[in-house]
Amino acid sequence: MSINIWIVVAGDPAVGNLIDTARSLGGQVCAAVVGSRVVADTVAAGGVDKVVWFGEPGKAPVEAFATAAADVIEATPGVVLGASRASDRVLLGAVAARLQAPVLTAPSSVSAEGDTLVVTRSIFSGIAEETVTVSGPVAVVLDGGPIPVANPAGGSALMEEVSAVTLGMTVVETHSSDFEQVDLGAAPRVVGIGRGLKAPGDLAMIEALAKASRSEVACSRPLAEGLDWLHKDRYIGVSGQHIAPEVYFAIGISGQLQHMVGVRGATTIVAINSDPNALVFTEADYCLVGDLYSIVPALTDALR
Amino acid sequence: MKIVVAYKWAPNPQDASVGVDGAVDWSRAKPGISEYDPVAIELARRLAEATGGEVIALTAGPKSVDASMARKAALSRGFDRAVIVADDALEGAGTTELAAVLAAAVRHIGDVDVVITGDSSVDVGAKMVPTVLAGQLGWPAVAEVTAVSGSDPAAGLLRVERAITGGTQVLEITGPAVLAASTDAAVPRVPGMRDILAAGKKPVETLEVPALDVPASGTTVTVTATARPDLKARKGQLIDTADPAAAAAELVAALRADGAI
Repeated sequence: MSINIWIVVAGDPAVGNLIDTARSLGGQVCAAVVGSRVVADTVAAGGVDKVVWFGEPGKAPVEAFATAAADVIEATPGVVLGASRASDRVLLGAVAARLQAPVLTAPSSVSAEGDTLVVTRSIFSGIAEETVTVSGPVAVVLDGGPIPVANPAGGSALMEEVSAVTLGMTVVETHSSDFEQVDLGAAPRVVGIGRGLKAPGDLAMIEALAKASRSEVACSRPLAEGLDWLHKDRYIGVSGQHIAPEVYFAIGISGQLQHMVGVRGATTIVAINSDPNALVFTEADYCLVGDLYSIVPALTDALR
Repeated sequence: MKIVVAYKWAPNPQDASVGVDGAVDWSRAKPGISEYDPVAIELARRLAEATGGEVIALTAGPKSVDASMARKAALSRGFDRAVIVADDALEGAGTTELAAVLAAAVRHIGDVDVVITGDSSVDVGAKMVPTVLAGQLGWPAVAEVTAVSGSDPAAGLLRVERAITGGTQVLEITGPAVLAASTDAAVPRVPGMRDILAAGKKPVETLEVPALDVPASGTTVTVTATARPDLKARKGQLIDTADPAAAAAELVAALRADGAI
């Protein structure tokens, strides 16, 4: 494609998927990088043609550079890719607004046909898909992917440092929380619990199953938000994590669409629920209709 | 402070049906205040209670967003008044178009100190309207906001707490700004009978798109195909649980045979 391809980077160099997608479109790829020099260098070595870097951010959050990013990209508008993380969305939103460019989310494929962008994407929480052709500036939100691997032959993209006028935002405090970090996306097996679980004390039984099956524990939204039984990091669903483990144990989960879109990538889904009409059984490989309080301990024993 | 909450009147995709050709039928999906918007409203009310000021409801969409039930559902949640952009031209409007209309309405309201939104809409769920809205206004935006207070409201300074990977961060922002609440930032109050009755008496300003200054997009987007998502074929194998130990053994054997464990 002969039009400009941009990626926006918001302080996190985990943009490998953006670079790969941009490269596959076949044009010059420029990166607008907000963040430290280390981040800019990582992106520059990761396969783009040019990096525009806004300098060390100091006490300004990356969002403070949203207008500056829009200024730079407005000069040569085109296809702009950004990651789905919170800060990345802020930069991409500012760029989309400046270009009056439509925003396309959740793509399963992005390709170029001449100067037209063709995007197939999931819509309305995954209940349907559409394919669109786009002529003109457009913003696409996609999974950032991993940190790009530096080109083994060495070499790095041209880096241009621009001075930015930042928005009036300052980081005044940063607190790290003391809960145990979990990478559900990397777990080969995940035990997901829902409202079928009656009390927070029952988590011990679930943790025993997780230990026996070497799984991580996850949950549907009500357990992380509202009930607070598990940290929000462990919530799977449309606005939470999307995972694709080898096995997903859906325990006491009704199978609402908003949860299931987060686990549809699982190779095997096991559902345990007392309601034979639970939606979860329509998307499961193994269906156990019954009392989770008797099945889960039995399953834990069988796995030991 | 003048606080605007941009909310959406939308149906839940859970209640829609999808044809084999991917066409979405919303006829049986009843619209409502979008799932996460009450959280934004709660944050706004707390900010208004702490700093003094009014909370204005703002929405944009087809005429149905101005139906009496839709108005009441919003106004019973503690707003002082509402500004509703109701125009059938907005049926199926994309993120950027909707954000441009909301931005024009924020300018129309005038002297707004902060716009608070929910995390995402229940139907589209792009999480992009608040950030594009901020971009249209040239204001700072922050997503995943867990708390907001006026650190120096007279100077337009906001103290905003947001969730980041592995913790939280406090930002000081020179307003006006757009803040997207995290899904669990606050537990919304449930409107009582008195709130619902009072809702009918609150002032509402209804606008159509031509009354606002909305920039046009030069990009054309054409839908060339729709489809039902290609879901993985699942076995749907029922395992009898009359004897839990036997069921567990059967499941473990099946998973081992699949190479899944």
